[in-house]
Amino acid sequence: MFDFLTHDVLAVIWFFLWCVIWGVYFIVDSFSLGAGLLAPFIATDKVQRIQIQRSVGPFWGGNEVWLILAAGGTFAAFPLVFSKMFTYLYLPMMLLLIGLIARGISVEYLHKDDNPQIQKAFMWGWFAGSLLISLVLGVAFANFFKGLEIASGGVYKGTLPGLFGLYALIGGVLFVLMSVTSGALWINVKTEGAIAAKAGDLAKKSTLIVLVLALIYLAYSFVGIEGFTINYSATPALYLLPVLAVVAAVLAIFFIKNNKGFPAFCSNLLTLFFVVQSGLANIYPYMLKSSVSLEYGIDIFEAASSHMTLSIMLGGALVFVPIVIIYQLWVYTLFKEKIKETERVDY
Amino acid sequence: MVELLSLSRLQFAITVAFHFLFVPLTLGLALLVAGMETVYYKNKDETWRKMADFWGRVFKINFAIGLVSGLAMTFQFGTNWGAYAEFMGDVFGPPLAVEALLAFFLEGTFFGAWIFLDRNRQKLKAFSIWMVALGTNISSLWIIIANGFMQRPVGYEMAADGSKVVMTDFFALLTNSYVWYMLVHTLLSAYLLTAFLIMGICAYHFLKRNNNEVFKKSFSIAVTIALATAVLLPVLGHGYAQYVTEVQPAKGAAMDAIWETGSRVPMYLIQVPDSSTGSNSVQLLGIPGLASFLYTGSFSGTITGLNQLPQGELPPVELVFWSFRLMTILGSLFVIEALVGSYLQKSGKLYTSDKYLKLLIWSIPLPFIAIIAGWNVTEIGRQPWLVYGLLKTANGISLVPTSDVLLSVVLISAFYLILMVFELYLIKKTVVNATGVE
Repeated sequence: MFDFLTHDVLAVIWFFLWCVIWGVYFIVDSFSLGAGLLAPFIATDKVQRIQIQRSVGPFWGGNEVWLILAAGGTFAAFPLVFSKMFTYLYLPMMLLLIGLIARGISVEYLHKDDNPQIQKAFMWGWFAGSLLISLVLGVAFANFFKGLEIASGGVYKGTLPGLFGLYALIGGVLFVLMSVTSGALWINVKTEGAIAAKAGDLAKKSTLIVLVLALIYLAYSFVGIEGFTINYSATPALYLLPVLAVVAAVLAIFFIKNNKGFPAFCSNLLTLFFVVQSGLANIYPYMLKSSVSLEYGIDIFEAASSHMTLSIMLGGALVFVPIVIIYQLWVYTLFKEKIKETERVDY
Repeated sequence: MVELLSLSRLQFAITVAFHFLFVPLTLGLALLVAGMETVYYKNKDETWRKMADFWGRVFKINFAIGLVSGLAMTFQFGTNWGAYAEFMGDVFGPPLAVEALLAFFLEGTFFGAWIFLDRNRQKLKAFSIWMVALGTNISSLWIIIANGFMQRPVGYEMAADGSKVVMTDFFALLTNSYVWYMLVHTLLSAYLLTAFLIMGICAYHFLKRNNNEVFKKSFSIAVTIALATAVLLPVLGHGYAQYVTEVQPAKGAAMDAIWETGSRVPMYLIQVPDSSTGSNSVQLLGIPGLASFLYTGSFSGTITGLNQLPQGELPPVELVFWSFRLMTILGSLFVIEALVGSYLQKSGKLYTSDKYLKLLIWSIPLPFIAIIAGWNVTEIGRQPWLVYGLLKTANGISLVPTSDVLLSVVLISAFYLILMVFELYLIKKTVVNATGVE
């Protein structure tokens, strides 16, 4: 009955799932990252800080698991990619790890101690962690889109400074700004009072910058990155991805201008999702594209696990991912009230 | 090359040991707090609410570090053990991915819900912490399934070119008997650790003559768990040791430093092994046949000695031996302490038995030490294999610049030290102030 699921077909399905899981991670973590990036600058007192903390507190932990699933899914479905991706980018991955730990601990410990100095330190830890995560991932993914310096025989020629070219830097800044916008719109939607208004005003400006940067980034991708258009020429329908990213960015500007926070929030998430997908669409059939010469890249078929592992994992994902999505959405409905300016300390 | 191997191993040892300081308490406290939240939901008794609040706060502080330090483990399979990841991915990846799907999502999602739900939604709050407890305990199953394969590979075949293992039977990974011995032992020790931590904290308050009902109730629950787990651990551990000796003879022989093959092998109460001579430099007070009994189940059983096993495939005997001794001595102490505790509590003398109470406070770190020692036996005892019989540890590392690994070892250690200090400070403050109790 499942004869059509050959090894190659399964590998392609898993590449598709891999792209979706990364995309989901980027959008669901973006607003807690954004809240962390904004908290030190827009919260004027402890009451507002707690409002921001409470707006993401119930959700960030479950959302971060999408990253673990992305990593674990890569390990299970494409072990070779998992190994090379983390080995080639050793130091950036360590920075990402430190960022993730700093962010997690800071959010959880923010108000565990009454000492204002300690609270301040954790607020900045939250900021620094969130900045590291969004910047490193933005730079890393720009490099994935562009291709890593993989020479013949899988030998990695890249250097740490070499990862921070102009394209990667624009990518990094764009990811940080999309997260900031996501956070601002989330705070605008989830809270009441001065902080909500302030976040809304900020989003009115940042959505504009996101549109401009996204246009520059996508234009750079198509014009300045070698081999980027190959898949697009072969399958013109793919052009929908960058178009949707831009349309969503325009919609976000329109919605927040009319003070429609939630539609603006969703539009910004779509921009983020489709920017990521636009880049990933270019690397197929490679997972680690080589900027030295395409043939040196690691493609999905050589990296994929065995037929048995891919099918078991596919079965597991088809059953459990929907269940996870259902209960995660359910938890959002448990905390649907807007957060008022009343202080509750013990988090 | 040697330096890179040592640094990679050092980093893994530091990060996994650090992670595992927090995991056992998470496993035990999640279940206990879930129980307390449920009882409070049923009977609306304020004592139970205070218990859930107080132990819940300790749980929150501990859980946060367990969660984030777990990320380091996933990352390192790629960053530092890339060759291992490529060799093992087909078999080792699925349990990790399933762990994320089945366990981490439950933990991560419902931990947040539990914290932020108010007491006027007690039913949901209790439900949420149960989901966290379920998630953490499911997580232990899947990670041990992954580790079980490294101890005793099953359900696989080697790829035609010998470059990697390929899964042939997923179900065999789950039914691997090594997994179930290890899982039971790990969970029991986690619950024991939790029980001793609770007893120690309660003892602190009893010594201050703070006989709050919260601590009295908590103590009586904890001492029951402590007694049950302390007795079960050696009883079931006996079967586990026999099984290990059968599956990994070198690990079994190293646990008691048995050098020469023989039957009716005695166990020496005082013994100092020396691997440079392949014998014990000191051995006193031998109990005839006891080692045979412990490792084969019969006093006349035959044990293969280390000197008769393949010499290139022996673990560092001293480390395994001393770790095992330490674990068993501490294990015996736990049985005695739990027995005394139960007796004192039943006879009503507990709250004034200052010496015993002080001992309990000093005993808080001991289960942590015993657990790390136990993992030393399991993981160092498997050396030089990374995957038993299939892949040597030296062949599992990523060939990254040594300076990069040195940098990450320093960075992570410094960072973990700060986290640890702050975690202890917060827990101590919570405990001393009895936050939520008074």
